[in-house]
Amino acid sequence: MKIVTGVIGNDIHVVANRLMDLSLNARGYEVFNLGVNTYLEEFFDASVETGADVLLISSLNGEAEGWARDVKPLMSRYNSLDNLVMMIGGNLTVGSGSATDIIPRYQKYGFDLVCHQVDLNTGLDMLEDYLKEHKTS
Amino acid sequence: MSAESNKLLIDIGSTYFKVSTSNSIEQHFRDFNRTILDDLTQKCGDTVQRYDQSDVHICSSANGGLSTLIIGLTQSYSLKYATNIAYNSGINIIDSIVFQDIETYSVPSDLIDVVIVVGGIDSNSGLFDERLDNYLAKLNYSNFVFVGNEPDAQAIKSRIDNVTLLPNIIDNRLHIVETHLKDYLTNLYQQDIEGKEDIKHLYKITSNQIYSTPYVVNKSLPLINASFSVTDPFILLDIGGATTDVHYSKDLLTDNIVTEQGHDRIVFKKLGVYKSRQSLIFTAENNEFSYELLMHLKVTENIYNENSEKATKILMQLAIFLVLCKMSHYRPAYVTLKLLAMNSIVFTGGITKVLTTEDIEDVVAFFYRKILNSEHKPATVLDNNYDIWTLGAKEHAACQ
Amino acid sequence: MSQLQEERDIILGNENVDSFDFDEVREFVRGADKNLFISHAFANRDKMLVQPRGGFPTYEKQYALYEFFVDANVDVLPLTIDSNTRLNDYATAKKMLRLSEANEVDMLNGYPLVNHGYRTTRKMMTHFNHPVSLRHGTPDARLLIEIAIASGIFEIEGGPITYLLPYSKNFPLDKAFLYWKYVERVCADYSTLNLPINRESFGPLTATLVPPSITIVIQLLEMLLSLEEGVKSFSVSFSQQGSMIQDIVTGKVTRALAKHYAKEIGCEDADIHLVYHQWMGAFPTNRDSADQLINMSTVIASMVGADKIITKTREEAVGIPTKEANAQTVANTQYTLNILSGLPAISDEQEEEILTAEVHAIMEAVFNDPADTLWRKVFNSIKNGVIDVPFSPHIINHNKMITIRDSNKNIRIIERGNVPIPDHCYQYERSCCDLDKDTTDIVNDIIHDIGIMQ
Repeated sequence: MKIVTGVIGNDIHVVANRLMDLSLNARGYEVFNLGVNTYLEEFFDASVETGADVLLISSLNGEAEGWARDVKPLMSRYNSLDNLVMMIGGNLTVGSGSATDIIPRYQKYGFDLVCHQVDLNTGLDMLEDYLKEHKTS
Repeated sequence: MSAESNKLLIDIGSTYFKVSTSNSIEQHFRDFNRTILDDLTQKCGDTVQRYDQSDVHICSSANGGLSTLIIGLTQSYSLKYATNIAYNSGINIIDSIVFQDIETYSVPSDLIDVVIVVGGIDSNSGLFDERLDNYLAKLNYSNFVFVGNEPDAQAIKSRIDNVTLLPNIIDNRLHIVETHLKDYLTNLYQQDIEGKEDIKHLYKITSNQIYSTPYVVNKSLPLINASFSVTDPFILLDIGGATTDVHYSKDLLTDNIVTEQGHDRIVFKKLGVYKSRQSLIFTAENNEFSYELLMHLKVTENIYNENSEKATKILMQLAIFLVLCKMSHYRPAYVTLKLLAMNSIVFTGGITKVLTTEDIEDVVAFFYRKILNSEHKPATVLDNNYDIWTLGAKEHAACQ
Repeated sequence: MSQLQEERDIILGNENVDSFDFDEVREFVRGADKNLFISHAFANRDKMLVQPRGGFPTYEKQYALYEFFVDANVDVLPLTIDSNTRLNDYATAKKMLRLSEANEVDMLNGYPLVNHGYRTTRKMMTHFNHPVSLRHGTPDARLLIEIAIASGIFEIEGGPITYLLPYSKNFPLDKAFLYWKYVERVCADYSTLNLPINRESFGPLTATLVPPSITIVIQLLEMLLSLEEGVKSFSVSFSQQGSMIQDIVTGKVTRALAKHYAKEIGCEDADIHLVYHQWMGAFPTNRDSADQLINMSTVIASMVGADKIITKTREEAVGIPTKEANAQTVANTQYTLNILSGLPAISDEQEEEILTAEVHAIMEAVFNDPADTLWRKVFNSIKNGVIDVPFSPHIINHNKMITIRDSNKNIRIIERGNVPIPDHCYQYERSCCDLDKDTTDIVNDIIHDIGIMQ
């Protein structure tokens, strides 16, 4: 299973990014880590070049709202990303906000899996469950 | 005297040719009614005759270089990497196609010298279906090179004739791998130069290989401080008759790419003051600041229709301004450079024979003031003795 | 005119510099008071020098900070530079400085030295008459260090590797080497006029599970790159790692090998110093715990026998510390240093041997690179992963090395990547750790190991 990951935008949380990389490797994924400060277009392009199954974007500094609206329009320009599982994790809003508001909002932006302030392993368990579920269906 | 001082160096451009000995350098307008060799013999025959064939070194940019079409999977990886390599190999004319949309592109009618197809890391495959074959079937091209993922290379070889397969330029970390494609394109360019009728004649006066000018200039960049006081980061502008070549320090660009050399090259193919004069004027007319610049230079748009020395001078100043615009955030092209960090700006080529340092500094300052709202003033260096070209040519001659 | 001087003319011709007077600056350095030179303080010290961190945007606030520091009996003053200046964006720094001056709100995270200029800043430096250390994080620091030295700042921190790999994603590393070569040459040149300008490398790097072998190799290489340009006074450094014995061994091996390699290139006449950074990793949010951690760092620095200690504050986890908190650490650290006595001499020969062998092996691999200059050998080694810095954001870094803590909290290499750690050392490092676990558990251990002080 190939997975492209990285931290989006003007965000320098390298420790979280490296831990994500190690965790995904430990769980047996083939990981393509684009690192910190990555642009949305680079994520999609890397997914195409690698033939990724999953795109996991981290956003830790609360700026996600700023670019998340661009996900759908940008993604619609690609012909080969229809089966890409889209996941986002981190701090998805500035200040407080409840998961019940945030999750549907990000789903509307085009994400299949939304993890707001969820710890790393729980998030990756969710991904595994999701992949299992969608494989059998 | 060292061996290199006994060499004769000749550079053939689209407009001028120049001839350099250890103690003199001469430049002549080309007479397009004669072959290059005839023209050269007519104007500098005595000089040429004094040298042994093995001591004559020639480079040329006269044929405009190879026309290239890159078909790649994505903008951020395959197309960006292939374009970077192509420019650094001295190629001027580059068109690119995103493969998924290949059916929406029109098929150029002109002969394409080389088609480059690229995309996918080696663990990916099946990316180029029959749409590629269909497109290529309609295309008129001389060479076809595949530098994408390994499994597809085999599939394409079985489907399309005369394909050159080279190792993938994208590695498994999504980093660029330059060597193979760069060597291939550089060699192809050499063969192209040698194959041109006009250039072929020149082998009557030299026993050495004739190289492309960008290749020679590129060789000289690491040595540039031997002749000039140039401070990194800098750009080197060669505004020619047909195209404008720019070599720039890598740190002027914020880009996720780890390449081998300290400087990258780009070309603006329709920006020149002779052959490309009309498209230069067209670009100027579409730039809202050109009018102001003309006023600043105390001329009117009528200058576009004049054929005077003065008009050439103004066009060159316009060209400087337009090239800087194209590399800034104001008119983003292939790259956007951090021009406020630039310490030196070096000019080479015919422009140095026409404009003074003051003429150039005036227009550079105008650019910084109008476009970047800054008083920044990079140090201007004029290579009016063609030292950059000579350096590269000598370096090359010394290696042979 | 020399090539360096021509380059300096261009660099200092920047529109943000108000006419740089080379002759006047040389006269100033030639006649500068000895007390401004940290090299003088090192030579005459009877105890470890204490240096805090700190930089504010306006002249007044920086001045007030220094007053607090001097009252707290500081040995070396810091000048931390704002992040716009670090990225050579002097125009934004200027704008933010104006806003900070007008509104009492700090719009910059440090002192924009280039915008203040050397004529102004020198007044502050000569008034306090203490050695000052320039702290920045700039890959292209050519203009910054010119203004610093002209201001009377005679210690320059950083280097092409240590100021790039922890901070930048894509600044070209080869360019950083060339820009730092300029810095070394200018420092070397000024060093001939009076006491030497001291250069200091930044050992903490990413401050996240960097193994001592990598830290030491990078310290040694930056030292060699500096000495080969003529610098005569250099500080190698590292930060608290989490295990006292590992710190003591690291200090010992660093000192011994710095001397060894300096001699190898015929620079044994240079003065080499050892600097210790208090814990640079994630800090406890509880201020009292933070104070305890800081105090423990001071004790370990004494065990290590450092020549200088760089302090943290109890407000570390919160944000930019206040001048009060900053000065308090200085006073506390001085107090601890004054009362600490009768320290035992502790060593661990096996650990020293292993670490020494690792460093030698990596250094040898660097020297064996076919490139013709040292900087290019180092550049290639980083590109090839012979040097690999855990948790660096830079695209050139390999990120193949994996480290973890053993039961004594020593940092151990469990995956060496392309780093030529000798087999017997590698086996030893791995044997210290419990690797029979599931890989996910190991990742959880790593997460835990990063936050050990919280």
